[in-house]
Amino acid sequence: MEPVAMKRLPLEGIRVADLTMMWAGPYATRILAEMGAEVIKIESPRAWDNIRTLIPLPGVEEPWNASYYFNDYNRDKKSLTLDLAHPLGRETFLRLVPHCDVVIENYRADVLENLRLGYDVLRQARPDIILVSMAGYGKTGAERSHVGFGPIIEQMSGLASMTGYGDDGVPFKTGISYGDPVAGKAAAAAVALALIARRRTGRGACIDLAQREVLSSLIGEAFVAASLRGERPVHRGNRDPRWFAQGVYRCAGEEQWLAVTFRTRGEWARAAALLGIDPALPGGPGDHDVIDARMSAALAARDPQKTFELLAGAGIPAGRVLDTVTIHEDPHLAARRFWVELPHPRMHPWKQPRTAWRLREADPWPRRHAPLFGEHNDEILRGLLGLSAEQVEELRREGVIGDAPVNPGVG
Amino acid sequence: MEASPSLPLDGVRVLEIGGGIPAAFAARWLAGFGADVVRVEPDAESLSPDEAVYLLPGKRRVRAAPAELAALARSADIIIEDGPPGALTARGLDPAALRAERPALVVVSITPYGQDGPYAAFPATNITAFAMGGIMSLTGMHQREPLVTGGSQALYLGGLDAAGAAVTAYLGALVHGEGDWVDISLQESMAGMLELYGPRGAYEGAVSIRSGNHVRAVWGLYPCADGYAGVCALERQVPALFALIGDPELDEPRFRDPLQRPNHDDELQAKLYAWFGERTKAELLELGARHRVPIGAVVTPLELLDNQTLLERGFFDSVDAPAGQARIPGRPFLGLGWRPGALAEPVPAAHILAEWSPSR
Repeated sequence: MEPVAMKRLPLEGIRVADLTMMWAGPYATRILAEMGAEVIKIESPRAWDNIRTLIPLPGVEEPWNASYYFNDYNRDKKSLTLDLAHPLGRETFLRLVPHCDVVIENYRADVLENLRLGYDVLRQARPDIILVSMAGYGKTGAERSHVGFGPIIEQMSGLASMTGYGDDGVPFKTGISYGDPVAGKAAAAAVALALIARRRTGRGACIDLAQREVLSSLIGEAFVAASLRGERPVHRGNRDPRWFAQGVYRCAGEEQWLAVTFRTRGEWARAAALLGIDPALPGGPGDHDVIDARMSAALAARDPQKTFELLAGAGIPAGRVLDTVTIHEDPHLAARRFWVELPHPRMHPWKQPRTAWRLREADPWPRRHAPLFGEHNDEILRGLLGLSAEQVEELRREGVIGDAPVNPGVG
Repeated sequence: MEASPSLPLDGVRVLEIGGGIPAAFAARWLAGFGADVVRVEPDAESLSPDEAVYLLPGKRRVRAAPAELAALARSADIIIEDGPPGALTARGLDPAALRAERPALVVVSITPYGQDGPYAAFPATNITAFAMGGIMSLTGMHQREPLVTGGSQALYLGGLDAAGAAVTAYLGALVHGEGDWVDISLQESMAGMLELYGPRGAYEGAVSIRSGNHVRAVWGLYPCADGYAGVCALERQVPALFALIGDPELDEPRFRDPLQRPNHDDELQAKLYAWFGERTKAELLELGARHRVPIGAVVTPLELLDNQTLLERGFFDSVDAPAGQARIPGRPFLGLGWRPGALAEPVPAAHILAEWSPSR
């Protein structure tokens, strides 16, 4: 049930022209939408957001409208179709820009300029426009034309070099396209900063966000170690030299694991007492191996949730390795109303995450399912831009707008 | 583009309390963008020396008695703290009371699990927070235990969300007259970024399990001649990748047809292992760029310090640290004013209060 809004959301009154696709950009604009902005997602009937059809559900009609992947990342937005490569599409977009505060895109670095829609062109349409570009490596520099997605960004940022079990020398990627949401969170922050600056100076901004640079910002201390002492990352598996001992141990059930940190020897002794383990250690560098072996033996038949609550409730840092199903059943996230189920005309409801920016008073709340392809064409073209029925029909006839992708199925 | 844009947060007063990685990272971005950040030195420093060199430049550090802390809090525009729920109130700084006194104030609290709910009082470290955020279940090899991602990612992600939420709520205060109390949970920072695996688990009820370095053959990380390199090709980029590899067998439908290809993933992976193994990182990156195939290489921060693009773009800030001159990640994006800032020694709170006290 949608709660009654108690106060205005921070971005109420802000309109965003959203040219982003896939994940990093749509993640940013989903945050903006949840913070109150009106986000108009713009796709070409000939080049639509790829994730609409990346993981198609078998046997559905209009698969581009029935993708949980797409629909999770695009809720609370409006859909306008426009082929920006067509002269009429470009012209229509430039009529929309004066009504927008922000234009955001995550194309390859040269695409917006190739469409003749670079910052200088947008600024002619609206002098204080804020443009946010989020190419993988930024708009300038030797690597600007390299193609990159989240996993590639993770390698090129330095982060992948820091992740590994340690005994095989192999670097590991995180399980997700980690670079994408990290860049998305930063891009949403950039929008707020640029709006603050515009309010103070009257000027817009041209934000050039390189996804790789944002991710490198999350491992700053490794750059300190490298620049001061020439250090390279050491793979430590799940251990952490900051703490007395730490590991991830298998529990009862299929693929159930518990992460535990003993910050001090005292915490180890207390946990050992709770778990019925011998706390005495032989002493020396092998102690951590002994702790790991005893913990593995002690937890193998234990319930992960109960053991997590037992240890954490006693003040010992523990965390169940929640998998992609159990995380949707976590009682704490439920109590926090973190998951939201929204009705969707083509799909049964499923639990979608709220944005982590929990403003306790304004209480941002996901309001509406992701738009169907071209769902808001009339509302925006006729309502906002004041085009006539004949003009809209011409756009349709020319293939500039549409209700369905052309040649769907190629992801 | 304007030559030297002004600092967007010039004159904005930010108080950092707690000062672990989450609050310190959030406040570092705010300091870089011009805010007057005052960091209340914690009783026991939780940052390592290297983390301090990265996270403290551009901030004023103070030692403050309780009454001084209260005076600072009453003059701040934004308070960012990462103590456990209730810690601020225990220090006489109840967020709701401060907000009632000054509605434009923004308070951002970062905790492992948020301010309320059954786990709110539970402690956490980086790894236990990562576990509870879901990403860890997907990282590492299927045959082995889940693997935490390098560095202190859970803590930085909380800081990243806090920075974005802080400036957004502050904008709201400027426009609508009211700030807010922002409740950042490290668990929620991560639980909301599970890519397709999150909705897949929610919609289909199917558990996604960690897949090591190979989601699929054309989406994986491989050993190469001088390290590791990766490819991440969409369907439309697969032909260009196959052309690069140049193996005539790859023209056969079992590899070309996206519906058949998953059944021959092992065979395809073997071909990619062989192809990557014969080439260096530099060769692979050049080939990827020239043929528009998304190829990356695993590089270390040490290598990135010499990266031509990062140098051209002026990514790094230089900081004079006790052990020498350090180079650290600077402005997170271009287009807004940023100041690198220097490391400063703690000062008595009276120095700051003299400036801050004639408050608005």
